[in-house]
Formats: sequence, structure tokens, C-alpha cells
Amino acid sequence: MSLFWSVIRQLAEIEAMATSKKVITREEWEKKLNDVKIQKEDMNKLVMNFLVTEGFVDAAEKFRMESGTEPDIDLATITDRMAVKKAVQSGNVEDAIEKVNDLNPEILDTNPQLFFHLQQQRLIELIRNGKVEEALEFAQEELAPRGEENQSFLEELERTVSLLAFEDVKNSPVGDLLDISQRLKTASEVNAAILTSQSHEKDPKLPGLLRMLLWAQNQLDEKAVYPRITDLSTATLQDPSV
Amino acid sequence: MPGSASSIHCPEGLIERLRSAAENGGEAKLKVLRELKNQIIGNRTKKLSYINLGALPFVVSILSSASSSSSSSDSLLVQCAATIGSFACGVDSGVKAVLDAGAFPHLMNLLSHSNEKIVDAGARALKMIYQSKVAPKYDFFQEKEMDILISLLDKNNEYLTGLGASIITHSCETKDEQKILGDAGILKKLVDLLEGTTSQRDAYMESFATIIKGNPQVILKSVGPENGRMWGNLLELTKDRYSRTRLLACMCLILIKNAVPSYLQSVGVRTKLISILLELIDDSGQVGDETLFTLSSFIENEEGLQKLAFEVNTIEKLCDHMQKELLQPKRLEGIFMVLANLCSNLESCRSVLLQSPKLQAINIITDGLSHTTVDVRVAACICLKNISRSVKYLSAGQFMTEAVIIPLIQLLYDSSTSVQVAALCAISNLVVDFTMHKSLFVQSGCVKRLVELSKSTDLSVRLNAVWALRNLMFLVDSRCKEGIFLELRALTLTSLMSDPSACVQEQALGLICNLVNGSVDSIEYVFAENGFLLSAIGRQLWSASKPEILIQGMYVFCNVASGKEFHKEAVMHQILPGSSNDDNQSIMVTMLQSNDARLRTAAVWTIINLTIPTGPGALARVVKLKNAGIVSQLRNMANDSCLDVKLRVRTALGQSLTFGNFST
Repeated sequence: MSLFWSVIRQLAEIEAMATSKKVITREEWEKKLNDVKIQKEDMNKLVMNFLVTEGFVDAAEKFRMESGTEPDIDLATITDRMAVKKAVQSGNVEDAIEKVNDLNPEILDTNPQLFFHLQQQRLIELIRNGKVEEALEFAQEELAPRGEENQSFLEELERTVSLLAFEDVKNSPVGDLLDISQRLKTASEVNAAILTSQSHEKDPKLPGLLRMLLWAQNQLDEKAVYPRITDLSTATLQDPSV
Repeated sequence: MPGSASSIHCPEGLIERLRSAAENGGEAKLKVLRELKNQIIGNRTKKLSYINLGALPFVVSILSSASSSSSSSDSLLVQCAATIGSFACGVDSGVKAVLDAGAFPHLMNLLSHSNEKIVDAGARALKMIYQSKVAPKYDFFQEKEMDILISLLDKNNEYLTGLGASIITHSCETKDEQKILGDAGILKKLVDLLEGTTSQRDAYMESFATIIKGNPQVILKSVGPENGRMWGNLLELTKDRYSRTRLLACMCLILIKNAVPSYLQSVGVRTKLISILLELIDDSGQVGDETLFTLSSFIENEEGLQKLAFEVNTIEKLCDHMQKELLQPKRLEGIFMVLANLCSNLESCRSVLLQSPKLQAINIITDGLSHTTVDVRVAACICLKNISRSVKYLSAGQFMTEAVIIPLIQLLYDSSTSVQVAALCAISNLVVDFTMHKSLFVQSGCVKRLVELSKSTDLSVRLNAVWALRNLMFLVDSRCKEGIFLELRALTLTSLMSDPSACVQEQALGLICNLVNGSVDSIEYVFAENGFLLSAIGRQLWSASKPEILIQGMYVFCNVASGKEFHKEAVMHQILPGSSNDDNQSIMVTMLQSNDARLRTAAVWTIINLTIPTGPGALARVVKLKNAGIVSQLRNMANDSCLDVKLRVRTALGQSLTFGNFST
């Protein structure tokens, strides 16, 4: 039985159980779990939702062929979206901007914060590649106006621009901006904006389910001793401590 | 990387290439357009700069030739539309430039293209235009235009339906326009559109709200209590994940309720709406601000709703909000307006505010009186006015502190008329104070300013200034009274009595009534300057038709007639017909015969004062009254339907009969 299946069953069982504090043996628990009915279609939808939201196009396509589950958005749009995400993650911000604008020109026009972060990333990449003169010019032409247009960006703007002031940028107080994590952060922001513009939820459902499971287990802990799932990645039941 | 680095330094270069592309055509068009588009999207500064450099006419020229040529590529049309749309996005001068360059008809043509991508691009661009107030006005009365609009809403394309909604929100302004849209079944279409999952829901609700706003007929005709789907959809949307959607859904429901109160009676739903709005206040942006005004309009005219809001601790929540630092003016104004509406009828609300620790709430509102924004000052005044309706706290002298009075008096000199009027209304309430603190007003030069304002050309200012003076005069001590009259002068009072507006006349007479009320010495005021004030009042009474004026005027006489012999005789002279018009009946008879019990009451009281048996002239007065037919009129009223009148009539008759029975 798949791990996924176990997790879902566990969650359903706990929610039914939350009435009295007692000790439940593994045997009893597993029996109850077996009585819980889960639909395979629901699981497939969850998987598809995860693949689609995270942008795993090929996997989504294959999964669709093999399981017959229909994605709730057009897989073609996922390809476009993934191209944008990849471009940001590789540091080709300008390319990413052009792709976003081809996909939907409204996104950057109506999302000043996202646009600012993309411009910010461009500056970071210029500095990372040692193109100091170009970076200076870019900061003046492209970033400074953002600060003029919108006061709330000024603080972040100052932080970013101060990158230019340091010899050893990596070890400066603002060195974290050069981390790959900064690229991933920006990429994630773009991904979310595209999903929202397509009226799709920007977060997959699966993490929500897992959070719910952990929370429900914590609640039940106050009332009963029972086999818990502690390691989400293996989803194995741990014997209740006697 | 493509050659954008050079364009950063040289927008003129791009313009040159654009111009050449527009004139010569060829491959370069697509490339340069795309470059331009990518430069301006998200970049307001660049948009303005390219507009100034004259980019738009070139772009429109490319669009125009591409539309008419059958061989041009689809992507060229898309890029044109996207570029134009971006220029129009959020920039009014951009919209203007786009329209001036003649883009509109070309964009409309794109809507019927076979390639859906082109249709989408055109629709998006047009929607951007219609989100600006400088967009062209759409004529709903033209059949052709209406057909186009309806076809937009019927399409299975979000961008097209969204465009249709934007057009309505922008251009529907008058009741007639609302009616024609309602009659065309647009509301039903919008309700249907709201059912799907779509990014345009906010747009649909905004246009729905625009059509129904303040128009009961449209609602009654197109939207009924049986329209379950509409209610269902809107109620569902009040629980949406996006705060703006929740707010818009609440707004639509509240607009319906304000126009047709019977449609949203359920206490459960009303309470739920208030709770949702209270939670939306936490949003720190525009949604939070608009929520306050929505809540304010919800509870404005209905005490029941104010009570509901009070019960779910709205006041506490707002007080918490008020104490946050750096509140934006709009938010402060909104908070004050909600508090004002809460306190408009309910003493419980006023008490809570007045009992807040260290008077924090009142202090913040009082600070609002000196805020830099006009609307905040007005809202603070209205709030104070409503709170001061509390008789309990007014009589406890709670408000007669310098902290409140001084800023309010300052506002009488405010540059904005609406602030002056709001301050006058608040002062009108505060001066009804029953303690001796009115001197604070009189000494501060406030009276002089009130008298000045009573001569204003603005009716609202004049009316409320006289009202404030009237209330100030109410039960005031004689020293203050003297001070006030010194500023007022009989001349001012006379001219106020003949003000073109009947409302001002009424307040002026009320002022005089308060003037002569009190000790016998007060009556002397109307005899100042050879008694021409009293004559003026007499003339006013004889010519007036508005009941309120007659009432006030008669009570002046009533008060005067309670004085000495000389006073009573003067009143007799005024109420009896003069020798030149013997055939006119006395004003007293006219009033005694009125259907309005208030007039009858006022007249009878005056007669009572005139016929009090003690005093040398009493007998003669009774004879005159009888000769004028007044006594027989009284006899007819011995069983008057109004108890008050009946009892006074009997008193008056009793008094006149002490001089013997004059049956003839």
C-alpha cells in the first residue's frame, strides 16, 4: 500500500477518534484504518494537482496518460510557466521577463512588488558577473525609479544598491542576496503570480493535508495514546509507548 | 542577451527605429515593438517618457496598417495590442495618449478576429483603457452599442466578459442608464457569470454594484427575493479567500439592502455581514479603508443595525484601531464615520465611548478636529455632534472643556465651508449645555463669529449658525445673554426673520423666543430701538404660511405676554387686526382654527397669558378679544381633540369668564 494511502487513512481515522483518552494498540489501530474508505480518484487528483502546481510537465503528462486523470489546467501553460521559472533560476532574468510578458502582459504591469524583485534580481546577476559599470547604470536607470514610484520599496532598494559598495560582496552584510536561495525566492514569486493570473491556486493541496495530519495528531495526543506517523517521508506507524 | 542594454541608455534610439519601422515596415516592426513593450511593462517612468517622445502615434500606425493588411502576422497584432494596453495600464496620461492616437477603433476591431490570442490581447488593452476615468463614455442608449456590450457578456471568454463589466462600471452613471441596463437583462447575466470560477469576479461585482446603486426600481424589477441564485452566489462570495472579493460581495448585498430594506431582513445574515466587515477592517490597505465606509453606509439609517453592530463589539474594535500609530487620513475618516453612525441614536454606544479609559477615544476624535485633511475634520465634527446628543453627559458638562471647545471654534474659521457647517452643527449641540459653562463660548469671540456666519451667502452655513445661536441663547444666564445680544443687535435679528429661506426664519424666531425667555427683564430686548423688532415679528406672523414659523412667532408673543402690562398691551396691538383692515380676522383666530394642534396650542397659551385676571388692563383685553371673535372661537374648542389644547382652552375660558358672562 502506498505511503500516501497510509497518510490519508491515518488522518481520517484520527479525526474520527478524537473523543476519549485511552491506549490504542497497533492491532486495533490498523483494524480501524482498514475500515476507512478512500477513493483512488481523489488521490490521483491530489497527485496531479501537486505535479501541475510545482510545474513537472512531463511527469504530469505521463501521469495523465497512465492514470487517466485530467489536470485542471492546460498542460501547455505549465510549459510556459516552467520556462519562466527556469530562466530565473539560471539567472537569466531579462529572458524571464520577456517570457512573462509574452504569457500575460498584465502580470508585471499590475504587480509592482514582483516587478521590483525581478529588477532587483537583474542587478544582483550583473554584480555577480562582475559587470560593475553596467550594474551602476542599471541601478540608476531601472531601480531608482521603482523607489520613486513606490516608497515601500526604498528600504529593500537601499539594501540591494549597497551591494555595489563592497569589495568582497559575498562576505558583506548583504551577501545573502547573492545566494542561490534569492534566485529561488524570486522564481517562486513569479510562479505564484502566473498561477494566480490563471485563477489557479498557487499552493498545491498536498502540503496542506500533511500539515492537517500533524496538527490532528497533536490534538489527539492530548486524549489518547496510539500509533503515530512521525516520519512523513516513510509514513510508517510507530508503536504506541506503553 | 538581446540588444536591450543599448536601449536603456538611448530611448531616442528606439523611437527612431520605431518611426522607421512604422514608415518603412518590414521585419523590424515586430522586433522593435516587442522591445518597447518589454521596456514599459511595469515601468511607469518609462511609459511617461516614451509618451512624451511621441511613441504612441507610431505604434497605432503600425497597428492600423497591420489590421488592414491580410498578410501581416498575428503576432504583430498581439504585440501592438499588448504595447498599447501597457501604455494605458494605470497611467491616465497614457490612456489619453492612446485615445488621442486613435487606437480605440482598431482595438475594437480586434475583438472580432478569428485568432483567440488576438481577441484576448485586444480585450485586455481595452479593459485597461476602461479602468481609467478618462476613457470614452459608452452610450448605452445606442442600440448598436448595447448589442456589442451584450455580445461581450455572452461570450465564453473571460477577457471579453471582463471588458464588458469594466465598460459598465466606467460609464453607467445616471438612473436612466441603470434602468436601461437593468431592462436589458444585464443583471441576470452578471449573476450567471458570478457562478463560475473566474478571475473576473471582482469586475462582475463592481459592475453589478454600479447598476443597482441607489436605484430601488432596478432592483425591484430585476432582482427579487425569489432570485435564490443571486443571493446564494453573493453570500458564498462573502467567504471567498480574497479579501477584495469578500468586500465587494458585502458591498453588493448592502447596496441591495439600502435600496430595498425588506430584502435583507434576516438577523443572522445581517450579523454575519457585520462580522465579515469587522474582520476585513484588519486589512491594512485600500480594502480596509473601503470596508469602513461600507460598514458606515450599512448601519447609517437603521437603529436596529446599529444595535447589532454594537452587540458584536464594533466600538471596542474601532477604538483599538484608532490607537494605532500613523493612521492614514482615509482610514481615520472611515473610523470616525462608523462611530458617528453608531452614536447617532444609541445612548449605549455614546456611553461606551465616553467611558473609555482616560477619555482616549474622545481625545483622538478631538485631535481629528485639527487634522490636515478636510474630510477627517468634517468626520470628527459629525462624530462629536452625534456623541453630544447624550443628554446625560451634556448635562454633566462633559463637553464644555477647552480641549473640545477651542478647536471647534477654530473650525468656524476653516477654509472649507463643509467643515464650517459640520462644526456649527456640533457647536449647536454642545451649547445646549445646562451648566454655566456657556460663558466659555461667549468669551472666546465665538458669538461674533457666529453672527458673521449668520450673514453668509451659503444657506447651510447661515442656517446652522442661527441654529447654534438659538441653542446658545437657550436658558443662558442674563450676563451672557446681554453679551450675545450686543453682538447680535435687533437689526440682525430682523433681517434674519425675513431671510429668503423659511428654515432660517424659523430658527431666527426660535432664537428670539429663547431671548425673551427667562426673567421679565429679558422681554425688554424685543422692545429695543422703539420696538420695531416686535412689529417685525408681528408682520412675519401675519404673512407666514409655514407652520413652524407661526409656532415660533406665537411663542415669542406668548413669552412677551407673560410680562408686565405694557408688554401684554404691545402683544394685543400685534395680534388684533389694525384699523385699516377691519375685515381681516385676527391671526389668533386663524391659528385657533388650524388643523395643526401645535398652532392651536401656541395660540391658546398666548391668550392665557393675556387674560390673566390680575392686572388693571385684563378686563379691557378680554373685551377686545371677544370683539375680535376669539372668545367664541375658544368656546367651539372646549372639546378639542388634542388634550393639551382642550385643557388650555378651558383655562382661558375660565379666566375670561371671571369678568362676567358676555353672552350676546
